[in-house]
Amino acid sequence: MANGTHRKLRLHVMRYNPRVPGDAPRLQTYELEEADGMTLFIALTEIREKQDPSLQFDFVCRAGICGSCAMVIDGRPGLACRTLTKNLGEEITLAPLPFFELIGDLSVNTGKWMRAMSERLEAWVHMRAGELDLTRIEERMDPALAERIYELDRCIECGCCVAACGTARMREDFVGAVGLNKIARFRLDPRDARTDADYYEVVGDDAGVFGCMSLLACHDVCPKNLPLATQIAFVRRKMAREGLG
Amino acid sequence: MPLAKRQFDAVVVGAGGAGLRAALQLSEAGLRTAVVTKVFPTRSHTVAAQGGVGAALGNMGADRWEWHMYDTVKGSDWLGDQDAIEYLARKAPEVVIELEHFGMPFDRNEDGTIYQRPFGGHMQNMGAGPAVQRSCCAADRTGHAMLHTLYQRNVRAGTQFFVEWMALDLVLGADGRVLGVTALEMETGDVAVLQARATLFATGGAGRIFAATTNAFINTGDGLGMAARAGFPLEDMEFWQFHPTGVAGAGVLITEGVRGEGGYLLNKGGERFMERYAPNAKDLASRDVVSRAMATEIKEGRGCGPDGDYVLLKLDHLGVEKIEKRLPGIREIAKKFANVDPVKDPIPVVPTVHYQMGGIPTNYLGEVVVPGKGGPNTVVPGFYAAGECACASVHGANRLGTNSLTDLLVFGKAAGETMVRFLEENPGHPELPADAADRTLARIARLEGPGGGESVHEVGRELRRTMQAHAGVFRFPDLLAEGVKRVKEIAERAEHLAIADKSRVFNTARVEALELQNLVEVARATMVSAEARKESRGAHDRSDFHERDDANWLKHTLWYREGDRLAYKPVNLKPLTVESIAPKARVY
Repeated sequence: MANGTHRKLRLHVMRYNPRVPGDAPRLQTYELEEADGMTLFIALTEIREKQDPSLQFDFVCRAGICGSCAMVIDGRPGLACRTLTKNLGEEITLAPLPFFELIGDLSVNTGKWMRAMSERLEAWVHMRAGELDLTRIEERMDPALAERIYELDRCIECGCCVAACGTARMREDFVGAVGLNKIARFRLDPRDARTDADYYEVVGDDAGVFGCMSLLACHDVCPKNLPLATQIAFVRRKMAREGLG
Repeated sequence: MPLAKRQFDAVVVGAGGAGLRAALQLSEAGLRTAVVTKVFPTRSHTVAAQGGVGAALGNMGADRWEWHMYDTVKGSDWLGDQDAIEYLARKAPEVVIELEHFGMPFDRNEDGTIYQRPFGGHMQNMGAGPAVQRSCCAADRTGHAMLHTLYQRNVRAGTQFFVEWMALDLVLGADGRVLGVTALEMETGDVAVLQARATLFATGGAGRIFAATTNAFINTGDGLGMAARAGFPLEDMEFWQFHPTGVAGAGVLITEGVRGEGGYLLNKGGERFMERYAPNAKDLASRDVVSRAMATEIKEGRGCGPDGDYVLLKLDHLGVEKIEKRLPGIREIAKKFANVDPVKDPIPVVPTVHYQMGGIPTNYLGEVVVPGKGGPNTVVPGFYAAGECACASVHGANRLGTNSLTDLLVFGKAAGETMVRFLEENPGHPELPADAADRTLARIARLEGPGGGESVHEVGRELRRTMQAHAGVFRFPDLLAEGVKRVKEIAERAEHLAIADKSRVFNTARVEALELQNLVEVARATMVSAEARKESRGAHDRSDFHERDDANWLKHTLWYREGDRLAYKPVNLKPLTVESIAPKARVY
């Protein structure tokens, strides 16, 4: 592409601002010339700078780590900053993530939902009483276990898994793969004093792990390739045992 | 415009590492705290930190906090204040262990202790060497793990966040005490006064003044702009760190941890050129040293690629297993943003603006200090700053890798503790002045009124281009002088910005205009301070004054917005408890 002619891209962007009275959802088309190494982030920024300052979308780090730029790209949730236009056709359709509160255009409020989920699952390490002793050295941990915890801790809370989830379409109280992955992560962590009985209290129902229908779209769309299918199955087995016991 | 007033014990502006660490201290003390943030906390730029947090735990062999202190003083090219640096190095192990207890998923050694990797400029035996392994890490996503861990603790503590709010200006009492901020609620377009008995700025850096930067879009120096407009000076703003390894073209960061784990740089002849510039530390010399070496190679025609405008970072010899275990995020970034798989091919890299060493002047307790009746470091009551927006100063003229995460933990916590004490001793809200929000409202009215006409994107582009061309890795007297002139012209244009979109709700254009006004203050401070400093020290390298000049320039710059006035204050060479580390030649 470096020395040939560049493609003309047509971006069809879902526009809608729910706070503007009378506004209705519609697709707006923007045309621009593709550049080498162009990502959707670069394309959208160029559109906002040169064509339409009112276009709303979110970007922060533009390096795939902050989780703020998830959107539906040609029907599939993904991170816009890491999506190269060369891997897409000339006609590109962009829509906001479903399920989350729409702020406007491509911008949704994932944060509000993530905070509520974190509160509900108490998504932090529950230290044993009186454990914060800074004179002591760190709690020892087996390196292989540390790696397994780290692996699940890579979640960037972008919301793609929930946006792709069949259960979430039907139950707005579903904690999603992001929530169940957190439970899997804290369950592994020896620093967390909670038992399976405690976890059962928060995810042992249809809004939790038993709501999952194993459609596994979460697993397919996760931009961080988290092993969500295995983790949800694992949590479900543990919770089922807890429920029966 | 409706003007709501809300009262809190404390307001924290910014929800990155420093803001969250301070907020935790305040929330757990039962104080009514509002954390104001433009983005949801876990999107803050701390999330992008990769390589690790520096602390002399000694898990990998002998290490002492005194060595960490020495390395930081030397890294700062002796411009750092030694009381603050001692505090940083002594407290570092404590804040890291605390974070471990909070649930931080650190990498581990076979004996279960936290794994630590080598990083540039960190040595044993008071700089004598060999290199020490001091950087505690969670693979190559340490900032992400840290930010999420701190956020989780804040959720537990019930911290209240004002998400998608942008702080606009400081509110000052008649006696000069800081009484909170004005802030814009982006969703509604309303401005509110957030009144607080103590106000902390933790707004991060302002790398977006440059065209090529590793910084996120939100890093627009809002805290610095607010402080400057309120009449407070900015300290040592001429010192900007160019990280040696930004992905060429994309600007995305590649951690120094790559070199810590054994990667190294090559020029077009395949030469490991750092051996010529830093015979001992080689690729793990301090960042300013490595960036200058790279820029020299490129300038002298030994750069790689069709235009000879980058060098290569080789790491394939580490083996796929080590890369997957220690540097998985780097492999992902290289594939996505550089189109190479580093297990086979080297990554094209260039020095890229990364970190602002200067900022709002503070002491090691996180209190903002300015020249006044109590001497050059008179405490401003009710005003605190921590993290990249603050200048304690621990990084001086050049920050060591890993010390930014250490900084935001140590000084975020210190500022939080100091605020808790201040709030205990100062109950009751002083009265708000009647004109508390006038400056802010006038600024917004100007943006929306007639008489504007300057485009936010054009002025912004011009600013970034000017900074890149006139205040780069190497600095030249004529370019600096010209740069001062241009930045002042740009500042004048930024007074007349116009926004096409005048809607109230989620008006991105308005936010970008307000951010640009903050960036302009930072750029002015940088250019004016850099032009005036007639020596080379750390990241500030002048072609006409090639040496460090301790006789004339071992002092901090203070830039005031009013008339672009400069003042200076002495560097504190006296640590809290140990002996002073006297300036000497800085060789790696």
